[in-house]
Amino acid sequence: MRRSGLRSWHAAALAAVGIAVGVALIGGISTSSAASQAKTVRVAIMTDCKGAFGFGYEPDIGGAEAALARYAHGKAKNKKKPSAGMTGITAGGANIKIVGYGCGNDTVPLAVTETKRLMEQAKADVMIGPLSGDEAVSVANYAKSHPKKTFIIGTAGSQDPTLQIAPKNVFRYHGDGAQWNAGTGEIAYRKLHWRKAAIIMDDYSFGWTSAAGLIADYCAMGGKITKRVFPPLNTTDYAPYIRQLPPPNSVDGYFWVVGGTGTGASLKAYEQAYGKTNPKKFVGNLFFAFLGNFSEVAPRLVGAYVGGFGTSPGLKTKAARAYEGNVAKIFPGLNGGNYADGFVYNYYNAAWALVQGLNKSHGALGAKLQSSLPRTLRPGYQVSGHGVLHLDKNRQAIQDQWPLQIVRKGGKPALTVVGFVPNVTQSFGGLFKKSSPPPGRTQPPCRKLKTPWQGKIRVVKNGVVTKGVIK
Amino acid sequence: MRWNVLRSSPKTTIERAIGAIALVLAALGPLVFNQYWAHQILIETFLFGIAAASLIFLSAYGGMVSLAQTALFGIAGVILGNLATRGGPGGTSKGLHLGWDPTVALVVAIAMTTAIGLMFGAIAARSIGIYFLMITLTYSVITTYFLGQVTLVSGFSGIGGINRYTPSWIGDLTGHPNRLYYVSLVAAVFTYVLIRYVVRTPFGITLQGVRDEPVRMSSLGYNVPLHRTLAFGFAAFLASLSGVLYVWWSGQIAPGNVDLPETISLLVIAVIGGLARIEGAWLGAFAFIIIQNYVRGFTFPFLGFGGTLFGGSFNTVIGIIFLLIVLISPDGLMGIWDRALAARSRVGRAGPSAEAPARTGG
Repeated sequence: MRRSGLRSWHAAALAAVGIAVGVALIGGISTSSAASQAKTVRVAIMTDCKGAFGFGYEPDIGGAEAALARYAHGKAKNKKKPSAGMTGITAGGANIKIVGYGCGNDTVPLAVTETKRLMEQAKADVMIGPLSGDEAVSVANYAKSHPKKTFIIGTAGSQDPTLQIAPKNVFRYHGDGAQWNAGTGEIAYRKLHWRKAAIIMDDYSFGWTSAAGLIADYCAMGGKITKRVFPPLNTTDYAPYIRQLPPPNSVDGYFWVVGGTGTGASLKAYEQAYGKTNPKKFVGNLFFAFLGNFSEVAPRLVGAYVGGFGTSPGLKTKAARAYEGNVAKIFPGLNGGNYADGFVYNYYNAAWALVQGLNKSHGALGAKLQSSLPRTLRPGYQVSGHGVLHLDKNRQAIQDQWPLQIVRKGGKPALTVVGFVPNVTQSFGGLFKKSSPPPGRTQPPCRKLKTPWQGKIRVVKNGVVTKGVIK
Repeated sequence: MRWNVLRSSPKTTIERAIGAIALVLAALGPLVFNQYWAHQILIETFLFGIAAASLIFLSAYGGMVSLAQTALFGIAGVILGNLATRGGPGGTSKGLHLGWDPTVALVVAIAMTTAIGLMFGAIAARSIGIYFLMITLTYSVITTYFLGQVTLVSGFSGIGGINRYTPSWIGDLTGHPNRLYYVSLVAAVFTYVLIRYVVRTPFGITLQGVRDEPVRMSSLGYNVPLHRTLAFGFAAFLASLSGVLYVWWSGQIAPGNVDLPETISLLVIAVIGGLARIEGAWLGAFAFIIIQNYVRGFTFPFLGFGGTLFGGSFNTVIGIIFLLIVLISPDGLMGIWDRALAARSRVGRAGPSAEAPARTGG
């Protein structure tokens, strides 16, 4: 009997030792980790590799790494695959180590999981990312609880992270979804003579913010929105939502804010319900022009106006050519050679700002880095203010915007910049405030107001900003 | 103590010893394990273990495999998020953000979830087997779509920043994550002890009778649907504990936390751990979370996937493990453990120094 007890304890002890060894092998036991090399800045790049924006994975990483190569001596391991990594990155006397690439799917739970993994398991000091609107909201909430970590949003366009939530350790060197659409609603009012319109928008933070820009800009002119429809993100069958839209004979046009794989699917559902699409009845947000949708959307909608992405494809300025040349040199053919895609451009500028911040803080992190991150930047597609982009007090970019149009060039659909809207603020001329509700299904209401750029949108022809204004 | 050792079977003794060691190790967790393990892996293990325990309780003692536990977990988190958070500048930007006292919000979230669980249970209690499974799957789907579509309380974005609104008697969990560690550990131990207690009460014994012979129990005068409903309500209470711990840990809750893949994940945790024993809940959660955290660095040789693409390798690995468990040990890891001990006991009896049979007391 007693031997039995002893053997049982013996087995238990063995089991416990086995568990302990297993845990230690995996790395869980707290050990005095090897003293980390002095001044190594651990950087994570968070983007999506799955879901509606999964194709942004390499373009996002490539954009960030192109800036690290250009301004911080980084060497790409594989010029065709940015996610293969980069070596030799230094700034401010510190080595920059990319400790991981986050892989979201545009949903909050995975964004939180990946952010925790990068910041706590991989011990990143700085995150560049995320890609998508809701992800940025969740990252901003996370950032608020981790003030020593620094977050530079990659290319997400929700308004909340830098207006309503606005932690001091979150920076965004590009516009939000509403800013990107500045001027587009006015073009619909002036050029297409829309007075009554409907809007279909993805039912999440970016969809709402992007739609908010179109609604605010269009309603500011006196236009009316008669119906708002909200398909959930990743919807595959859009027919029920298209049926909620008023038929084409009862509105002057539709604002279309359906993204990712849903853009083409929603337009096809429209065609099945109402026949061929009339480009004069459609104005899209950036989803019509970027994020891999152009080849599917453009043949249907040659002539349609499109909201921008803070970029100006074909802009003939020295800064624009320099930026495009920098990316092409590091990752030739990245994103199909479309370097004016915000996926590449915004991640590039985020990483560039980080390098500048580290240079100024001499590799110091936390509050020192946050105070050293630049409040101005000279990105490729900024023209006003002699090419200098400013951050506002919430560390949000005040950025030039570029409404676009789908045209036919050489027999093929192409994208051309038609307007220049200088220095667009996140507040949209006072409409959006810290204390106001963030964009949503019913926010903002359709209201006539005076935007700072009303009647001042300059005409852009062949990549050159002219003195004429859009009438 | 020694008397207990002598009275208990070797299996029980070993399990108690391992349990005691695990408990001591867990109690010393923040000192023994590195920060990531203590504040991520183990907290996740504790809280998802509680959710899995609610599922295993229903399965092992009520004969009901529920797919609604993830939904109930999410409902508790969403209710807490709506009640406790505050809006306005610097606050939470989604949900009702009513700004209630966090303790009151906590009690209301648990009470409402339990009430919803009782309601769910009352509807599902008269069905069994695949029909019960389908009804509870329906609850899960309804919850996902409700939260996604009703932007007033959640929307696709869900609610964030909930971990900044914790009861004063718990304190700041983001600045002091060890507190959350111990709150989760205590909740996990409380859940385990509570289930062990409940299944020994007259209600628990009756529930097991209902599980084995519902017709006979009914003919003996027991109200079978009522017992099932109450069991479902009790499991909802446990799931709600998991839900509030999750939002304190993660800070956020969204429809993506309660969708079909997450529902299946909880079932996988329970199956890997073992649907027959409560301990399997935490064992399954631990295995699942370890695989989830560490398999991403693994690339399948010659197959060219895995590695950086989170999800590809994880889903494959967890799928293979799930299949192996179902084929080799339907009772999960706890079943493997039980069989290993039984085999050891048989070998011991057959050998020259054979010991007394398992139960020697009495």
